Amino acid sequence: MIEIALLSFAVLVILLSLGVPLPYCFGAGLMVMTLIGESTMRGMMLWGFSQLTNPILLAIPLFVFAGTIMSVSGIAGSLLNFVNIFVGRIRGGLGVVATVCCAIIGAISGSGLTGIAAIGPLLIPEMERKGYPRAYATALIANSSILGLLIPPSVTMIVYGWVTDTSILASFLATLGPGLLIMLNFAIVNLVMVRKFPLVMDEPLNTSEMFKLATKRSVHAGPALLMPVIILGGIYGGIMTPTEAAAIAVIYALPVGFFIYKGLTLKSFFDAGKESATAVGSILIMILFSLMLSQIFVIENIPQAIVDSIFQITDNKIVLLILINLFLFLIGMVVNDITAIILTAPLLLPLMTALEISPIQFAAIMGVNTAMGGVTPPYASILYLGARIGKVKFTEVVRPAMTLLLFGYVPVVILVSVWPDLSEYIPSAFGY
Amino acid sequence: TTLKLSHVRPEGATIDVDVRHFADDVAKATNEKIKVRIYPASALGDYTLVQERVGLGAVDMAVQPPASAADKRFQVVYMPYLVKNWTDAKKVFAPNSSLRNTVSDLYGKQDIKVLAGWPVYFGGISLNKHINNAADPTIKKGAKLRVPPVKAFQLTADNIGFIGSPLPFSEAFTAVQTGVVDGVMGSGAEGYYASFRDVTKSYLPINTHFEMWYLIINKEIFADLNKKEQDALMTAAATFEAARWKTAETDQKRNEQLLVKAGATIEPVTDQEIEETAKIVREKVWPVVIKDIGTDWANSVLDKAIGAH
Amino acid sequence: MERVFKYTLTALISLVAVSQFIQVITRYVFQTPVMGLEEMALIPTIWLYILGSVNASREDTQIRANVLEIFLSTDKAKLVLHLISDLISIVISSWLTWWAWRYFAYSMRVWKETSTLYLPTFVYESALFIGLALMTLFTINHLYRNFMTLIKNHPKQDNDVLTSETLTSTATKKGQ
Ligand code: NA
Ligand code: NA
Repeated sequence: MIEIALLSFAVLVILLSLGVPLPYCFGAGLMVMTLIGESTMRGMMLWGFSQLTNPILLAIPLFVFAGTIMSVSGIAGSLLNFVNIFVGRIRGGLGVVATVCCAIIGAISGSGLTGIAAIGPLLIPEMERKGYPRAYATALIANSSILGLLIPPSVTMIVYGWVTDTSILASFLATLGPGLLIMLNFAIVNLVMVRKFPLVMDEPLNTSEMFKLATKRSVHAGPALLMPVIILGGIYGGIMTPTEAAAIAVIYALPVGFFIYKGLTLKSFFDAGKESATAVGSILIMILFSLMLSQIFVIENIPQAIVDSIFQITDNKIVLLILINLFLFLIGMVVNDITAIILTAPLLLPLMTALEISPIQFAAIMGVNTAMGGVTPPYASILYLGARIGKVKFTEVVRPAMTLLLFGYVPVVILVSVWPDLSEYIPSAFGY
Repeated sequence: TTLKLSHVRPEGATIDVDVRHFADDVAKATNEKIKVRIYPASALGDYTLVQERVGLGAVDMAVQPPASAADKRFQVVYMPYLVKNWTDAKKVFAPNSSLRNTVSDLYGKQDIKVLAGWPVYFGGISLNKHINNAADPTIKKGAKLRVPPVKAFQLTADNIGFIGSPLPFSEAFTAVQTGVVDGVMGSGAEGYYASFRDVTKSYLPINTHFEMWYLIINKEIFADLNKKEQDALMTAAATFEAARWKTAETDQKRNEQLLVKAGATIEPVTDQEIEETAKIVREKVWPVVIKDIGTDWANSVLDKAIGAH
Repeated sequence: MERVFKYTLTALISLVAVSQFIQVITRYVFQTPVMGLEEMALIPTIWLYILGSVNASREDTQIRANVLEIFLSTDKAKLVLHLISDLISIVISSWLTWWAWRYFAYSMRVWKETSTLYLPTFVYESALFIGLALMTLFTINHLYRNFMTLIKNHPKQDNDVLTSETLTSTATKKGQ
């Protein structure tokens, strides 16, 4: 069966490069598994469809819609004008803002898609206006969006805690250190990469000028500045869940956009609704068929078969760690993060214990690896949503995205494996 | 033949261990002719979906709670306070009891055969803080509880002095942590320990409902086995259930103690308080549920199961 | 067609947002959350996802990763590649639609209900077949149009997509 799985994967990649829409590429994978292999499609549509009803997904359309309305209404513009007082003179400052914004969104949402959904529509146009290539801006925000899975809360860590019988809070905190380090790395790599871009810079200001301008603009930015306050306050004040906060953001943005900033018109409102729905629909239909394909892999025990063969290669700790990282990277290429954790964490845990790696460090290893899966093709849901929202070709986004990943993310993946304190220090400070 | 069996708990959980014993028994009794391959942690889907998949024959077997989506009459087994203690539960939910026959009939209509039951626990309430007189159903506590999307649970929460709040399970942990809700209802000590132990400060063992899972198999797949194989499955299933009845109550205690170890306080709940709560629930919640699932049918099932109510 | 989708999709996404908003208000302000609201909200949610995807097929903006296109220099070669990919898409899409049809028939026969309000789940389960069927039809339409362009040998026109592509950037400028 593993041969058929490989064939199905190969067909998927070939069709993808031919330019067949992503959902159909995964559909072709399904065809190979069931028409050539012995898997059955019976009940698969039922299974896939039930995944669409998962409330985890609901935050995506709401955040995209909120982000788009904020963008077209002038709320985002006003916010960014304010932020620009402080970062507009720094070369690459806006890129740093994008990364930090994704980290903040990551602190309220447990999904890797929320950052790009909420920040993408807001910042990509603004970054382009300031001279960043659109593809680069998209790649930066899509990659930073992964922080949603590393900065607590995180759905993957909830699942990890459950399947490995580890404290969920400890698992949350395990990925916090690596997450912050990745945020820092992305910021630094961004500052290096922007050197070749023709960026539009603001006039330098001294402190008092800056203060004056901030006071002046804060009046105009007031209603816009209230938005993050409502969202963060609402969630941490125990009033609403992140998904509900996204809806509140939409509802709040409407009167503010129509009557205060006046950027929102009936036409742009309907355009925003259509755009958001289409972006979300095209990503979810892809997720639907990719989940169906990964479910067939699950039924056929493919991940287990791969783990078994890895165990037979060696018992050298470093080599095993490298292999496990590679394995998780491969798994991340074909299945989504939650499936990857449910299947492989219990399989690998005994091995980790043998290698004297604590469940908390393992949480971080699983966390950073599976989160990365969201931006590595062919299953790269975060990157695809980015391309859709940024309205750039996927092939254009992929290069800057991989550069950022290679220099900003991969070093941390390696560090997490070899440096226990990176993941264990914060949990231990909280008594885990 | 390899039979795919799904269950709803992670590897290593009590049900996982028991189900592996069952698989071993089956393999031994059939000289490895029948192998049961286990898929833990709902890897094949949540229990509602898996029940449909078993009905279709896309998944062969499962151990899980009955799902009421395809037939709302399944709600009769979820009736809160159908039984109030282990002595009652052992009678009402026993193999060959009238309630078991009802459950088998309902499953049968979906092309599913029941091989055994697996008593899980009495449900309770997990809270993120201590609440005074939490066990007194007549006091309005003003505390919100995340309830599963089942009418009986929502009504129960509202009628025993809490505020039932529907929230997706995936958001429940963070919601309890930030205080969007003050606790969770619908599970028992074992479930709370597995998913909410970091945010459970107080546990109220008020026996909200008796959770029973069933070992089920697709009818056709069962019928296609030869007589000897069928017998092997049935025998192993009977052992699987009998062994659990012996340990279920202690297992519940053990899980309560695990919650204590994780920092929770087990609130004292008297039999008297359980009686009072049961009385209110039977008066206020039952009529609504009974009406929903068909008054005549529900009453006859309940009469046979627990006598006059 | 553009209008139909614009209004329908915006109405659906707004409904979803409003239902979440109601839940916050009833829970936090009135302390009486609405039972079964999430079941009702599932109907616009699923139709939003599926019709959103149908619209992507209509606009021909489904997510693609044409790596091969980078290596093609002429418009004609690119068009031929697009035709091939359309053709493959139609085969796969028809096959998926067939299975979605079986699911459609199954859910009509079983007629499941939600657990609190007992709404028939068919109301949203039917979306998958309808959506995939429409996606197949729109893909066939693109194939036809691309094929006509190829034999008539003039560049294809994409009016729908251009308007939406420029939307976000122009609107942001206006907001400054
Ligand atoms: Na997060
Ligand atoms: Na991936």
